[in-house]
Amino acid sequence: MSEKIITREDLIKLNDNLYEIPQSFREDMLVPARVYMNEEMIDSVLADKSLWQLVNVATLPGIKKYAIAMPDIHQGYGFPIGGVAATAIAEGGVISPGGIGYDINCGVRLLVADTTAASIKSHLPRVATEIFRSVPSGVGRGGKLKLQADEIDKVLTDGAKFMLEWGYGSLEDTELCEEQGAMPGADASMVSDRAKKRGRDQLGTLGSGNHFLELQVIDKIFDEKAAQAFGLQEGLVTVMIHCGSRGLGHQTCTDYVKLMMQKLPGWGYNLPDRELVCAPFSSPAAQDYFAAMVGAANFGWANRHVIAHWTREAVHKALGGSVKLSMVYDVSHNIGKIETHVIDGKETRVLMHRKGATRAFGPGTPETPQRYRAVGQPVLIPGTMGTASYILAGATEGMQQAFGTSCHGAGRRLSRSKAKKMVRGSELRERLESQGIIIRCASDAGLAEEAPMAYKDVDNVVNIVHESKLAYKVARLKPLAVIKGG
Amino acid sequence: MSKDFEQLPHTADIKIRVYGKTLEELFRNALVGMFQIIGTRSEQCTTKNDRLVCDNLPGRYAVEVSSPQQDLLLADFLSEALFLSDIHNQAFFNLEVQELTETHIRATVHGVDVEGFDTEIKAVTYHELKLQQVDGIWQAEVVFDI
Repeated sequence: MSEKIITREDLIKLNDNLYEIPQSFREDMLVPARVYMNEEMIDSVLADKSLWQLVNVATLPGIKKYAIAMPDIHQGYGFPIGGVAATAIAEGGVISPGGIGYDINCGVRLLVADTTAASIKSHLPRVATEIFRSVPSGVGRGGKLKLQADEIDKVLTDGAKFMLEWGYGSLEDTELCEEQGAMPGADASMVSDRAKKRGRDQLGTLGSGNHFLELQVIDKIFDEKAAQAFGLQEGLVTVMIHCGSRGLGHQTCTDYVKLMMQKLPGWGYNLPDRELVCAPFSSPAAQDYFAAMVGAANFGWANRHVIAHWTREAVHKALGGSVKLSMVYDVSHNIGKIETHVIDGKETRVLMHRKGATRAFGPGTPETPQRYRAVGQPVLIPGTMGTASYILAGATEGMQQAFGTSCHGAGRRLSRSKAKKMVRGSELRERLESQGIIIRCASDAGLAEEAPMAYKDVDNVVNIVHESKLAYKVARLKPLAVIKGG
Repeated sequence: MSKDFEQLPHTADIKIRVYGKTLEELFRNALVGMFQIIGTRSEQCTTKNDRLVCDNLPGRYAVEVSSPQQDLLLADFLSEALFLSDIHNQAFFNLEVQELTETHIRATVHGVDVEGFDTEIKAVTYHELKLQQVDGIWQAEVVFDI
């Protein structure tokens, strides 16, 4: 389908933070498309193909209510990044790997220290160096763990829980993790040998690009009650880990996109974009993909679990063992889930696609760990280098509006080549260091591409989520040190 | 020297346009372009004019891919090269084709050990994938998720 340029005239303003492209905009749309954004952002959103992609998502067989995009929306493949779509399983609803992403279970883990940033300020460079030494990052570098075939299968099925058997982390780390670090429904035999070969020595590795590990300080509390429930206090140090399922996840998505593309003519779909390739959830191809995707997701949780363990060891080594780092939560922002939502007054089982979007379940939901249930599920929003990260709490109003979903970060607005033209990696390092942020990075080359000016304003994105009542601001975190693969 | 590949702008990822006088040359330039664009680092090669130049490519791996269409074949072939790169820690800068049709390729990639890459490709996507002949020259566009 040839693209029509979407303009302001095509947008209906529902409120200051929510715009809709009606179903009548294009005849193959099954539902309207809704995007959470404000006036300030409209031009940058219209500047790439993300809204056209959202309109395409609205044509997916079985899609319910709306194709939704979060305020960190930007152009992806098939789905825009920040895209959310629920397809009704009993109504021929499809699963689309592009609605989950190549980096299956890319996500964020947060630990909180029992010490303040002020009290360990002079030790931070040493802590950062020790973490950089302990956690493999960058590309082309293998990890410290090499898994045998049967071990990789256990990681795929039991995720973070399996790593407990090897003495990594604690039970609490799994209890306070989305899906308890091991989502049910994995079938290790559905993950290809290719994917397993890639994942074999990548468990416990950070990767590169926009993945990172940050030491932060809680610099503002917005909601005292929720902060207390989450164990957060102004001035405390936190550790944020942002990474995914590495080559194993990337290969799994690649394998199934290829497989589904071959089977696509058989379904008789008239997809406006090949990258929306999908299969009805009830079909064998879809079931196989889902079982593989869950396995890859579990690998991602095991990955962050191991990295957290080595981070704790590094911090103990640098500070002499006196600081405790406790688990706050771990969220995925590239994943497909089977969820039940009330749609048109009826409880409906859906395949929930969240691509560059984070689950944000409200107070009282059974999926939220008991100790957080009164205030809602923690939502972890990583900022970009040198800017703030946020912790939010899922809101009840968000369940009906957006299937209990929030943004996942700031969202890019500049291409990597443009970003590299605007600033050199070494300049950026100097600029960040002059702000007092310690950088430990494998190579400066990738640094410029990740420059904060290449991203939307995270404060603005989070404020839109907050004002829309998708999730409420609980705390803001500022970076002290950034550890990256480059 | 005729153009072999160039980088095009794309918001979050890398897009390249590849050229070739023959289909085989196009596939070769796409392979080389992919590994050049991600800033391959190898002690066995030198950098000249922003490109990595390797005198020897001792690594040899067989590649065999089938796809329903020619443009998908190009993307699937590059995916296979990416997989081999990840498990063998190599980058590939030459291609020896034994068989190349619209839906099938059988070839050998030639490569070199690497210490790392400046950028990590998560996947070769089908997004905005193009493969066509323009004025007798083969031209393709591929987007890499990074």
